[in-house]
Amino acid sequence: MVKVGIPRALSYYRYFPFWKSLLEGLGAEVVVSRHTGKHLLEDGVRHCVDDICVPVKLFYGHVLDLVDKVDYLFISRLVSVEKGEGDTYTCPKLIGLPDMIKSSLSGLPPIIDFVVDVQNMPLKSSAKRLAGSFGVTGARAKRALGGALEVERLYQAELLNGVPPEEAIEAVLSNGGGNGSGSRAGPERTGGGDLNIALVGHEYLVFDPFISNNLPRKLERLGANVSFITQVPSAVVEEELARYPGISWSYEKELLGAASHFLSRDDIDGVMLVIGFACGPDSIISEIITREVRTEKSPPLMTLVLDEHTGEAGVATRVEAFVDLIRRSRTRTTAPDPN
Amino acid sequence: MKVSFPHMGNAYIALSSLLSNLGAEVIVPPRPTRKTIDIGALHAPEFVCLPFKVNLGDNLRSLQMGADTLAMVSGMWACRFGYYGRVQHQILRDAGFEFDSILLGRDGIGYVYNKFRPTVEGNLTLGWFRAFRHFKRKAEAVDKLEIKSRQIRPFEGRRGSTSRALTEGLSLIHEAPSLEQIDAALSGALGLLEDVELDRDREEPLRIAVLGEIYAVLEPSLNFDIERRLGEMGVMSYPVMSVYKWLFRPLKTDPRITIDEYRARRIAKPYIAYVLGGEEHQTIAGTINAARSGYDGVLHLYPFTCMPENICRTILPRIESEFDIPVLNLCLDEHASPTGVATRLEAFVDLLRQRRRKRPPARIMKARS
Ligand code: SF4
Ligand code: SF4
Repeated sequence: MVKVGIPRALSYYRYFPFWKSLLEGLGAEVVVSRHTGKHLLEDGVRHCVDDICVPVKLFYGHVLDLVDKVDYLFISRLVSVEKGEGDTYTCPKLIGLPDMIKSSLSGLPPIIDFVVDVQNMPLKSSAKRLAGSFGVTGARAKRALGGALEVERLYQAELLNGVPPEEAIEAVLSNGGGNGSGSRAGPERTGGGDLNIALVGHEYLVFDPFISNNLPRKLERLGANVSFITQVPSAVVEEELARYPGISWSYEKELLGAASHFLSRDDIDGVMLVIGFACGPDSIISEIITREVRTEKSPPLMTLVLDEHTGEAGVATRVEAFVDLIRRSRTRTTAPDPN
Repeated sequence: MKVSFPHMGNAYIALSSLLSNLGAEVIVPPRPTRKTIDIGALHAPEFVCLPFKVNLGDNLRSLQMGADTLAMVSGMWACRFGYYGRVQHQILRDAGFEFDSILLGRDGIGYVYNKFRPTVEGNLTLGWFRAFRHFKRKAEAVDKLEIKSRQIRPFEGRRGSTSRALTEGLSLIHEAPSLEQIDAALSGALGLLEDVELDRDREEPLRIAVLGEIYAVLEPSLNFDIERRLGEMGVMSYPVMSVYKWLFRPLKTDPRITIDEYRARRIAKPYIAYVLGGEEHQTIAGTINAARSGYDGVLHLYPFTCMPENICRTILPRIESEFDIPVLNLCLDEHASPTGVATRLEAFVDLLRQRRRKRPPARIMKARS
């Protein structure tokens, strides 16, 4: 069986169940890179331009982890991910990702450059093209695609329930790839803690335990219930965005919409904006969130910048300080909002 | 209306003319310096790209000089530049300044068109027409001067004489109020440049293509006046972009620019398959073209964390070896030191001189297209 490697970084957090199921339906074996670790990150950093964002450096590390293990490398090219009016894009680096990898690493297995450009080409066509390159056509291709779409749908449902991506991936892929109900693995996330904190940031930062220094866990250990942007339904995001038009980066729109949603909820005690150092879109959107979205009535908002040098201790200190701040401001308000 | 806008090379000359012909009082902030960048950086988000900080610094100066309206292009772009105006103006308002915004692109043509109804005397359409003609004439004149000075600087007898003549010439054009006077100013200015004493016996200068992010290439305060530096080192520089192209490209009125853009995209396509929203095609195609036309080297300039150029920088080493052309990458930020840049530039020029000695110039490279 041909082995296809998928790096555990960037678009992995969005599309992995879809790609895995699709590739397996086409007769391939899927290999995922190991979890991020010190060496993997260092490898990535060494092969990258200094001032590129951390998530791309991580992606490089994950690619290098797969190089000797697979026959093909699967690298997505996310050009546009939203249909609808007006031009929308992802970040330039997500658009140029396969170009960067191809031109800067040597000794790579052949690359499957999977284009997602829904404004110009339906996802189905991209998938059909991929099937064709595996020599699979007709009913079998259709079945593979149908199965993959179903798995992706279940995956998104898990995410909406607040299940973090890695757990959700396991849940939807462990029961036969597409026809089971993955939802049984969705535990009730909110409970236990006395604080509700929302994490707003790209999934590939927030949910990579190494680069985020286990941020969600840290918050939970400090007694917080954590909400993620993956739990905000897209209809809600759209509604919030109506107040902040004019953004054409799809993923940043999600951050903006989710931030606006969390900042206006009275059951949320604090919002942490998690941004990657050297991330271009984040540098703009974080400014729009703090200046246009946040009001005097909003719960405390903190920005946490992550990079390859951010140590465990640095994150811990900032998170503790934030949680303290929330607790202190709470005891000071004598009459809490009834909610 | 006292209107102002941030600097971009010598674009202020054409832009002032456009706005003053529309009846606005134009406030031109002083040309940005390192200090402008520092002031901008103080108010800007920490890791936003450098042009943002320079623009913000310019805006602060303009407001201090009494501007009540700030103009900026804005709108749907794939890159950060599309959001500059929106965020900068918010930062300034949060800092307590009050002013009116013109965000060209975001506000829509109709809004911007009508904005000048109160200031234009007589028919508004005619006013715009007249303003555009002046704008165009000045942009063309400035372009001619820039090209001319670039050609003579490596040969100047006394260091700095070209730049002095250029500055004088530019101010002649800036001050010319009518089309006839712009034409007269241009011939006067060209005359000034022709009077610069040249030493024609010098050896053939090195030829270096200058490319990368557009502000980094065209704004001297950002790039430590690279064009002048190169010229005074006896190097002929060929910027891939120009202020003229920057002004007219979005207007799509000049077919030469459109064709050039199309060609660049085509040449860059095997390396960058999709549009990234910056100058990536000009960077990649410019490097390949430089090699093909037998240039000695390429200078790649970009602001720290610039997204499209980070991608280019990742790809350029491959082009460097495939096409056998040396590339120097200069990443610019507010902490970059002029001596650091000068040292790297000198080392690069030395390297190119040695290389030139080993091989005859103007060798046409054979490489895959
Ligand atoms: S959105 Fe930011 S973090 Fe993600 S790839 Fe682009 S620059 Fe990097
Ligand atoms: S091209 Fe570079 S400098 Fe220009 S807006 Fe984009 S990231 Fe910033």
